[in-house]
Amino acid sequence: MGVLSDHVMEEIRALPPQFPEVRSAVMPALDLAQEEIGYLTPEAMSDVAAALNLDPGYVEGVATFYTLFHTEPTGKHRLYMCTNISCKLRGADDLLEHAMRSVGVHEQGEVSADGLFSVEAVECLGACEYAPMMRLDHAYHYDLTPEKVDELITARRNPSPPVPARQTKPRTPRRQKTDG
Amino acid sequence: MAELRGTTNGPVLTRWFGTDDLHRIDVYERLGGYVALRKAITTMTPDQIVQEIKDSGLRGRGGADFSTGVKWSLMPKESAVPMHLVVNADESEPGSAKDRYLMENSPHMLLEGVGIAAYAIRSHQAWIYIRGEYDLPFARLTAGIEEMRAKGYLGPKPFGADWELDIRIFRGHGAYICGEEGALLESLEGKRAQPRAWKPPYPAQKGAWGRPTTVNNVETISTVPFIIDRGAAEYAKFGTEKAKGTRMFTVSGHVQRPGNYEMEIGKTYRDLIEGLAGGALPGRTIKCWWPGGSSSPVMPGDLLDTTTDLDGIKNLANLKDHPAPPLNMGGRGFATMGGSGGVIVMDDTFCAVKAAHRLLQFYAHESCGKCTPCRVGGNWAVRAYDAILSGNGGPQEIKILERVQEGLQGGRCLCGLGDAAGWVIASSLTHYRNEYEEHALHNVCSAEKVGMAANA
Amino acid sequence: MPDVNLTIDGRPVAVPAGTLVVEAAKKLGVEIPVFCYHHKLDYVGACRLCVVEISPGPPIARIACGTPVSEGMVVKTQTSLAVEARADVLEFELVNHPLDCPVCDKGGECPLQDFTFRHGYPTSRIDGPRLHFKKPIPLSDKIALDRERCVLCYRCTRYYDEVAWEQELTVGERGVESFITSQFDRPLQSNFSGNIIDLCPVGALTSRVWRFESRPWDMTSSATICSRCAVGCSVTQWQRRGQLVRVTSRENDDIDEGWICDRGRFDYTDVNDPSRLRTPSVRGSRSSWADAIAELAAGIKGKGSRLGISLPQDITNEEAHLFRALLDGPLKSARVSMQGRTAIPAPSGAATMRIKEIDDARVIVVVASDIEDDVPIVDLRVKKAVGKRGAKLIVIHPDGVDLDRHPGVLHIRNAPGSAAAEVRKLASHEWLQNPGGLVAVLFGDGRGSEDAADLAVACAELAEKVGGKRMPLYRATNERGALALGVAGSDKLDGVEALLIWGPPPSTGIPPSVRFLAAWDHLPRPDYANAAVLLPATTFAERQGTYSNLEGTVQFLRPPIAVPSPLKEGWEVLSELGAALGVTLDYAGISPIQREIAGRVPELAALAHPPDPNPEPRRVLVGPAHP
Repeated sequence: MGVLSDHVMEEIRALPPQFPEVRSAVMPALDLAQEEIGYLTPEAMSDVAAALNLDPGYVEGVATFYTLFHTEPTGKHRLYMCTNISCKLRGADDLLEHAMRSVGVHEQGEVSADGLFSVEAVECLGACEYAPMMRLDHAYHYDLTPEKVDELITARRNPSPPVPARQTKPRTPRRQKTDG
Repeated sequence: MAELRGTTNGPVLTRWFGTDDLHRIDVYERLGGYVALRKAITTMTPDQIVQEIKDSGLRGRGGADFSTGVKWSLMPKESAVPMHLVVNADESEPGSAKDRYLMENSPHMLLEGVGIAAYAIRSHQAWIYIRGEYDLPFARLTAGIEEMRAKGYLGPKPFGADWELDIRIFRGHGAYICGEEGALLESLEGKRAQPRAWKPPYPAQKGAWGRPTTVNNVETISTVPFIIDRGAAEYAKFGTEKAKGTRMFTVSGHVQRPGNYEMEIGKTYRDLIEGLAGGALPGRTIKCWWPGGSSSPVMPGDLLDTTTDLDGIKNLANLKDHPAPPLNMGGRGFATMGGSGGVIVMDDTFCAVKAAHRLLQFYAHESCGKCTPCRVGGNWAVRAYDAILSGNGGPQEIKILERVQEGLQGGRCLCGLGDAAGWVIASSLTHYRNEYEEHALHNVCSAEKVGMAANA
Repeated sequence: MPDVNLTIDGRPVAVPAGTLVVEAAKKLGVEIPVFCYHHKLDYVGACRLCVVEISPGPPIARIACGTPVSEGMVVKTQTSLAVEARADVLEFELVNHPLDCPVCDKGGECPLQDFTFRHGYPTSRIDGPRLHFKKPIPLSDKIALDRERCVLCYRCTRYYDEVAWEQELTVGERGVESFITSQFDRPLQSNFSGNIIDLCPVGALTSRVWRFESRPWDMTSSATICSRCAVGCSVTQWQRRGQLVRVTSRENDDIDEGWICDRGRFDYTDVNDPSRLRTPSVRGSRSSWADAIAELAAGIKGKGSRLGISLPQDITNEEAHLFRALLDGPLKSARVSMQGRTAIPAPSGAATMRIKEIDDARVIVVVASDIEDDVPIVDLRVKKAVGKRGAKLIVIHPDGVDLDRHPGVLHIRNAPGSAAAEVRKLASHEWLQNPGGLVAVLFGDGRGSEDAADLAVACAELAEKVGGKRMPLYRATNERGALALGVAGSDKLDGVEALLIWGPPPSTGIPPSVRFLAAWDHLPRPDYANAAVLLPATTFAERQGTYSNLEGTVQFLRPPIAVPSPLKEGWEVLSELGAALGVTLDYAGISPIQREIAGRVPELAALAHPPDPNPEPRRVLVGPAHP
């Protein structure tokens, strides 16, 4: 019980008066939680719920609906690669594979061994004139080439002190793959 | 900040684009910004503004193409509870980037429009719902609001008038469906963003938090200062008899100069794609194009002379000799639609089936899961495409696609997302049936061969 | 407002303005299939099954559950567009639905089966792989969830949020990946969880108590009344070969609106307990009824106040009436303690409030009761009035209660014992000055912490002053009937020499002073080890009779199981005991007793008018899974 720090809990408790109804504060509150501990664990969601006087189930329902909330560990730097049509037409698929190879992961959502990176293919990010592009560290990066992607990765790998990979708790997948 | 790709010094929306630091309030004001807001609040009544907007012929630029002035006039003139203007800045339609272009380059144009629109509908608190991935536009708008507040344009007495005004920003968290009005309001209320099944009451009676609400698109609201400043007639000079003004188009994909272009409504997509965007890449042929985001039915490459007026574009005559896809909007057939203005261009090196597959993956992934046809149908179609493209398909998969597209259209789904998914299948399958059959029956991709030849 | 006229499939119908097309069709007996629509839940428009064509309007699929009627509207359910659209939705539902109907508890009473049979395509075009979920998942020790069968109609989660004000049941993920889940897969805690089983239109939510117990067509059912508390919800009890195998809700808008609590739904397995008492015994040895009753009579006769009698909370009016005759005669001065009763006195003066009247209250005051626990279904009625109809809510209770979930609640945390004083202060509260309608004053007894008599007076005064009504929240099943019949004693039993325990043993235990112990119960219990006489009793699933619920409504039990020989109806046993004690209580059946009560006790006059034992089955084409 209680994985969020006191000051974050304070910030969350201060949110509801900014909105006509308390539920509107759930997403901003989850933002604060995710920012603090990296991803949304049941404990973190329960903390948010408690601070807002809601059932944790409500918070869980909201958190799992939106793709920017992560209920699994992610890398310190998340590469959100746009792979929708405008970027795909300009080579996004190859870039996605390149990025995954460069950070050393085999599938989307996997965290690189150094804990620094995870790569996610995402839908249109609304910067189609700069395709192919991605979002990384709260900024857009445009006209990507394999070289540019590598530069961005290298810049984050080298100056940063090593970041320990977060403790990951294995979670049973809710849905198995299709049969047949 | 990356180089601007698109119109600068355009007629209306982009008329000051290209000016350094346009996002700063002093620069914006120096060019003539906030004249309209001052004029509106200090010299006009809300009803006069609504009339002016009606007269201008401005229509919703989010894709619905509904008269903005009429929409505003649906709001009650008196209300016991607060009323809200909500700006839809959740731009997520594949191929559309124009709202981002407007917000990050000229945030004050939007904010000024918000002030005018809020005043016109008698709202003291406006909300901008912006998609969570838009970091720079969010930062620019946040800074812009602070600048407005510092100048006293927000708060209890903007421009000395007795009209309390507040603008708040709410960040989305990754869900295309939030561009849908009801889903956006659900999300603003802190819920899972599932579209609302409206029966009376409608948003103008009970919208956000059960209060009277008007939801408008970024581009629509950004146009408002020009109209109030220069007058409805000045705006109505642009465009055609029925479709007034200019609008923003994002051109992306296989063109020489992708960008966000402001163009007078009524010109043709050839003017846009071959003129402003420089046309096909060297040595390539435009195979097809989507006029208004991936949700607008795809058009064959030889139909670029279609005009950009949002009503006229639907006309089946635009299809010329091409067969009409089984498209259904409100019980009627149509050729395609202007949608969000996100023009995606694809040349002959890319496979139509693979493109449709990618789009269906998108619609399936972004289906909120509320209504049955969209939840199940989109995923079922993706699996049919998977089978076709992996060489495991057959005539059965094409039949499934035909079934699913019909089951998604014409009021079957709760909101337009399902219809759009149906339109993608219907238009792609009609115009490029040969490619579907090549894949499904012979496991052959002719576009791939063209592509390999082009790259050789 | 005058009715609105429309036609459905060419047949005219007039319904009140605001009626939905789906309800108007129900009135005509035209079936429009639905999954998500439920007449007690807010409109959601999710399943898209109820497609019809409507003019005026564009020629598109319109949903009957989301369209209010209008004058001159023409609704067609059988156009090719409507028929195909409904069949398409059913086909979509079956794309991933497992075909495990043969082992599904819902099979045989499943709307998905029935609708597919009547509205679906005759042949299947689905031969692809299906999506899979882990199955089944326990949502609690009472409810199982099979996500593969779920059609995501959201009835269960909407019910939880709208009706029960809880979100421990939620929807996770989105799109085709979305699923119903309890929060972080933890067991459901709510006392109202079981209603989701009745609401589920497919076999996704099933009872683990009943799971794999019997096929629906292998049971017979009886429309009866729950005996677990004083609310008196309507229920359907299902039996198979003399075993009570299932309890489901049965909609009664005056009282329960189709909801029952988990105690009422799941707390029935003692009926089938293999150790149930079947025959009388005397000092441990099996005996005849006559011997046992003679022994009992000898043990309790002439004891005066040295005799103690513990009464069950669910004593019927008929039993109470006969028992009263014994108390007036041979058992005069016996100390009587009715189990589970409150300290609230019998109502007097102005009529008390009816449960359904809570709907129209503008301000609701709940005093000295955690109604979620005390009178669960009244709790839901209060939530409806506050959540859906905008009533204001004031709670006077020392502790946090379930109703605090509403952000607008005014909770006055009183020191125990001061509730009456708080109620008196309330008369000047601003909410009660111009309430704009009925004020409901609901009061309990603080489970002993309040002076119930004083509180009752204070609440009556408040109600009178602000133009409201009061509702005493009795807890024991037939507390109000027992009060009317003068048997609802709350005497202390310590010091008695002889004790007759009728029903479960008294919560205070058996006083050490007892020399003669007799018990009349349906189960053997350690407390009865030294009983001189043990009589087998019937349960709520077998006995006939009536209860008066907390609002005073007389309701008739229609037990699904016949009293298994050699058990006897309670009134028969009392009649025989009377004879052994020298009082003639000779009745040919239960009806003469009921008529006699009706003639003597005005509050129970309704006993003379039992409802038709075989009421016309209601035609319910849409709505709860169990009509």
